[in-house]
Order: sequence, then structure tokens, then C-alpha cells
Amino acid sequence: MDRCGLFGFFIFSLAFTEAQALIPAHHLSLTDLARLQNLLSQTFIDLESAYYSVVGLKKLGVTVPDHKEVCQFVNSQLDPASVDSLFFAAEISQAISDCEIPVSNETRDILLAAVSEDSSMALIHRAVSTFSSLGLPLASQEVVSALTARINKEDNVMAITLALQTAARLSKQAELGGILEEIEDLTARLDDLGGIYLQFEEGLEATALFVTAAYSLSDHVDMEPPLKEDQVIQLVNSIFSKKSWDSLAEAFSVASAAAALSNNRFHVPVIVSVQGPATVSHSQPTLQLLVTDVMSQPLATVNVLVESAYSASSKSVILNEAPFTLNDGIFELNFMSTHPASGYYQFTVAVTGDSRLVASHVELKVKVSTEVAVTHMDLSVVDKDQSIGTKTTRVDYPSKAKSPFIADSHQNFAMSFQLVDVNTGVELTPHQTFVRLHNQKTGQEVVFVAEPDSKNLYKFELDTAERKFEFDSISGTYSLYLIVGDATLENPILWNVADVMLKFLDEEAPATIQPKTLYVPKPEIKHLFREPEKKPPTVVSNAFTALILSPFLLLLILWFKLGANISNFSFSPSTILFHLGHAAMLGLMYVYWTHLNMFQTIKYLAIIGGVTFLAGNRMLAQKAVKRLEKK
Amino acid sequence: MSNSVISVISRFLEEYSTSTPTKLKMVDAYLLYILLTGALQFLYCLLVGTFPFNSFLSGFISCVGSFILAVCLRIQINPQNKGDFLSISPERAFADFLFAHTVLHLVVMNFIG
Repeated sequence: MDRCGLFGFFIFSLAFTEAQALIPAHHLSLTDLARLQNLLSQTFIDLESAYYSVVGLKKLGVTVPDHKEVCQFVNSQLDPASVDSLFFAAEISQAISDCEIPVSNETRDILLAAVSEDSSMALIHRAVSTFSSLGLPLASQEVVSALTARINKEDNVMAITLALQTAARLSKQAELGGILEEIEDLTARLDDLGGIYLQFEEGLEATALFVTAAYSLSDHVDMEPPLKEDQVIQLVNSIFSKKSWDSLAEAFSVASAAAALSNNRFHVPVIVSVQGPATVSHSQPTLQLLVTDVMSQPLATVNVLVESAYSASSKSVILNEAPFTLNDGIFELNFMSTHPASGYYQFTVAVTGDSRLVASHVELKVKVSTEVAVTHMDLSVVDKDQSIGTKTTRVDYPSKAKSPFIADSHQNFAMSFQLVDVNTGVELTPHQTFVRLHNQKTGQEVVFVAEPDSKNLYKFELDTAERKFEFDSISGTYSLYLIVGDATLENPILWNVADVMLKFLDEEAPATIQPKTLYVPKPEIKHLFREPEKKPPTVVSNAFTALILSPFLLLLILWFKLGANISNFSFSPSTILFHLGHAAMLGLMYVYWTHLNMFQTIKYLAIIGGVTFLAGNRMLAQKAVKRLEKK
Repeated sequence: MSNSVISVISRFLEEYSTSTPTKLKMVDAYLLYILLTGALQFLYCLLVGTFPFNSFLSGFISCVGSFILAVCLRIQINPQNKGDFLSISPERAFADFLFAHTVLHLVVMNFIG
């Protein structure tokens, strides 16, 4: 009772945390159980596989057929000198009743010798289990000291798990406290994956065997294992997420873990699932829940109640502390009796009655669906200047208006209707209320949305002049459909209400009715290269070339008149070289213009220029000397 | 008024023809030639259009550059300016003139297109 209160407080504080309390994502469904059973029911080839099959099936609560055959097989395969063989045989004989394994003094000696510090943990475990299964007496304290010594030597997960399992087979008076502490150490070694899974890196078998051993020892000493609720759920997720098993040993470990988690004194994870879709309606007013343990066995001794149910949209609380009734293994609640409006509801379901239950608070989303009816459907053609009175026609679902409505550019076509819940008469505003106009001749369709006003009365107005673009100004007879749909409606509506003849101004109509071509190749773009600039006529260019060269003539004439001559030309090598070099440089300029690029020109220029410079320097020096001499 | 202008000009021309050494007169003739060439190029550009613009620019810059270099040469070889250019002999001036012209023509040829 005290623990119940503490438990309740723990749940209360959990409910106020940001994150949702963890609920199991995986468990062994009935199909998974069948698959597991199938795997474990294979014909066994040796004693080890027989052990896994028989003991595994026993843990699942399945009766093993042909006890006599199994017993015969065991006795034939038994090797009295091997501890392993004895272990398998002893465990199988304990699982199936009326099967005797012969025990001799040699057997006992072999088993006793195996229980020592020098044997491996697996050997100690098998020996002690055999002692226990065969009902032979054993000094527990010696075993405990051997186990403690082995734990220090073999520090891996499997070894410590086997130690826990061994300790569970010893007498309750023994000092098991030290070994019990190992559960907490092993829990710390588990890897948390995304807050959803908790497992050893050694794999599924190690995790499942650890769970089995931890609960087996905890039950034996009657002390709650140091596993938090969330950790238990995470372990459940890890162990039962794999739905096909590689080996008999793995299948056996999963079966053991399933048995341990469904039937121990401290933690029993509960699985709450909705039978069928989580939808209630007038025709199906009950919400059915299946409450089981991890092995899909129904928990019959519990009470299920709705702690609170509130509407997802309006957040108003509909139910508070309403109990479910147990009906043939299924918990039922008639939700429609509270006359909820259609929509989504958030349920918080609590499973009570057993203090061991883990993950007993579940959040469910329940949909209440209903049927809709269209009422007060009034169609009218209104003149824009409202000089002529409106004539409304009432149409009832599902019939169609008898005569088509005619609207041209001076008139508006108007429609108003109401959507009501068939069962409660409440006005509804579904997600989809469309008005579709379909031109029968051209196949064009235009869809509009009908909007509700403040009184939840739906109105739709079609202004032919304003909307001509949507229609491409194509006049003709359009069938008018009303489309109503929503996730919470069981009867979506597609109703051909009337035919409307729309008249647009004829000159705006396209000559041919083009279907909207969105995905055809577009017209090719022809690239226009840049036009070369217009050149002046060749005559003009030639004339001006001649004109520009004419001042050169003038220069020559002027020089001649001034008396320029080359009488002072000295034929020294430097002079000749200089003049040649200079001429070569001018020639290079021409060649640069026509053929070369800058780099080549500079290369040649460097060579010629260098020569010319040296020669010119010489020549000018000579000239200077001559000038100074003349002076 | 015009009378005085004409008399000034005629006096100037007379002074020029008598006191200017022949060497300088030859350089002056060259300067006139360059000037005319540049002016005619500009006239063409005004009349016919700027296509091709790069050619026009290179030709015009060539004329302008040559004019400037020739003016520099004239200043430097003028015996009256000897005091200002003590370290630069006329031969040196001419050598500089040739070198600068080489660079100018390299640029002009590059740009003429």
C-alpha cells in the first residue's frame, strides 16, 4: 500500500514532465509467439537443442508433446562424465514431469569438482543448476565464494549474468548480497539507444538472459531489482523488437525473458492496444481495448479506466474517471453515450489493480466520426443591380434541380446551404467543402471553395464577369457539383446539384478551345547573334587613308626645302648596324600587327633592340665626338 | 586691329625663319606633319563614325604621343636651352626619343587591333 502511494506519486510527477511517459513499442504478439514456438518445436538433434526446445516451450507455457519420447532421447544421449550433458538432462527432466535421470556417486563427485574457483563461470552455473534440478544437497557458501572469485576474474556481461542465475538456485540463507549488487553494476553497462532501447553491446541474447537472471534472483531474495520503470520498458523494446531469431539459444533467451517479465514479483509491463481502429461512431459506439502482458496474455485481474478524455480541438474535458467494463477478455467503453461532437479526442487510460504494473498509463487518440447531411440548399440567380427580385430554388439531396440556371455577365449565381450532423443536429464545418463546375463539352473544370459565415451557413457566389478568367470566357452548360469531405465523416458527399448555363461575352472567348498545355515542349528560342556594326563604304575609307598619308608627302617636301640631306652619312659598322636594327624594329612592329602576340614580339624586340641600342650608342658617341671636335 | 595681328604674324614668321637653326626647323616640319595626321584622323572620326573605335584611339594616341616626344626632343636639342639640360647631350636626347618611340609603337600596335 505504501509502495502503491509512492508509485502513484512517481506517476504523478512523470505526468508533469515535458516528455511523455515511455510505453512499450514492441512486445510478443500472438503471431510472434507462434513463430517462436515454431522455432522451438524443431526436432532436436542433440541434448543442447533438446534443452533449449523443451525448457523454452515450458517457459512459454506450451506443453511439450511426447514426454516419453523426450525422456528416452535424453537418456540415450546422456554422457554421465560431462557436466554440460548432465546439466541439459537435469533441466529437461525438471521441465517434463515423470522423467528420471540416474544419479550415481561418480556423477556427484564430478559435479562437486566442477564447483570451484578454477572452473569457468559457465561450468559452475551448470553444475549448481544440475545439483538443484536433481535435488542433491549443496553447500551454498562455498558456491558463493567461488562465484565471487570468478566474477573478479571474468568481468564480462555473460559471466556475471550466469553468476546471477546461479545465485538464484542457492538456498535463501546464503550471503547473496554481494552478487545481488552486480545487478546494479550490469544495469550501468547497458547502452541507451535514443531513449527507446536499452541493450548490451554483446547483443540480444545477453540482454534477454540478463533480464531473466535479474528477476529470477530478485524474486528469490524478495528484493526489488534496481531497474527504473523507463529502463524496464526500454529493455522490453530491445528484447522484443527482433521478430525472427538466428539460433535456438537466442530464441530460448527471448522466451525466458518473456516469461520473466510476465511473471515476477516486482515489474510487469502492461501492453494496452486498441482492438480495431480507434474510431467510434453511431454504428460502433464502443471503444475496445486489449490489455495484456508482454507475452500477449490477457491480464484479467486489472481494472481499466479513463482518467481523462478531452477534445483535441476545444480542450474541453468530456470524461473523467470513467471505468471500462470487461467483456469476454476485452475492455469496453461506450463513448457515444456521452454524446461527443465529432472530432479527435485525447484519452489517458490507466490500468490499475496490481502494484507491479509498469507503463500502466497510456495516451490514446480516439476519433469520433459521424454522418453529415446537407440541408437548406438554396440556389438562385441574382441580378447585379438587384432590380429584379431573386428567385431561390430549394434542392434536396440527392436529387438534382429540374431546370438549369442561366447566368450571364449581368447576373450572379448564388448558393447557400447548411451542413449538419445527422445524429446530433449540430452544424458542422468539414475540412473540404468545394463547388465544382464541369463543362461537359470541353471537359474543363473549375473548383471553388464554399466558406461558412459566422452562423455556420455556407455561401457561394459566382460573379460571371469577375471569374471569367477561370473559365477562359467559354460559355456553355456547366454541371455544378458539391463536394464535402472530412476525416471524421463517414459519408463524404459528391452531389450533382444543378446545371448552370454561363454566358460570357462572346468576343472574349478563344477561337479554339486549347487544353491547358503545361507539359508540352515550348517553342524554340532562336539565338540572335550580335550583328556586326555597319562599316562605312570602302570608297570613303580609301579616300581618307590617302588623305591621312598625304601629310607625309608634305613633310618630305618641307625637309627637302630645308636642305635635309644624308651627306654626313658615315659608313661605319655601328651606323649601318644601327640603321638596320632600327629598320628591323619597325618591321617587327608590322609583323606584330599581323602575326605575332605580345610575348613573341617582346622576345624579338629584346634581341633586336639590344643590338640596335649598342650600335646606336656607339654611333651617337661617335657623332658627339665629331660634334665636339667641330666645336 | 587685324592690321596689328597680321603685322605680328609676319614679324613672327620672319624672326622664325632667320633665327631658328635648320635642325630645329626640320623637327618643326616633322611636328607639323604629325599634327596634320592627327587632325585628319580626328576629322575622319567626326565625319564617318567611331567604328572601329580601338583603331581610331590607337592612331590618335600615336599621333599625340609622337608629337609630345618630338616636342621634348626639340626642347632638349635647342642650343638656347643648353643651360637647362647640362647632363643631357643632343645625342642622348635623340636616343631617349628613339627608345620612347619604341615603347609607344609597341603599345599602339597592340591596340590597333
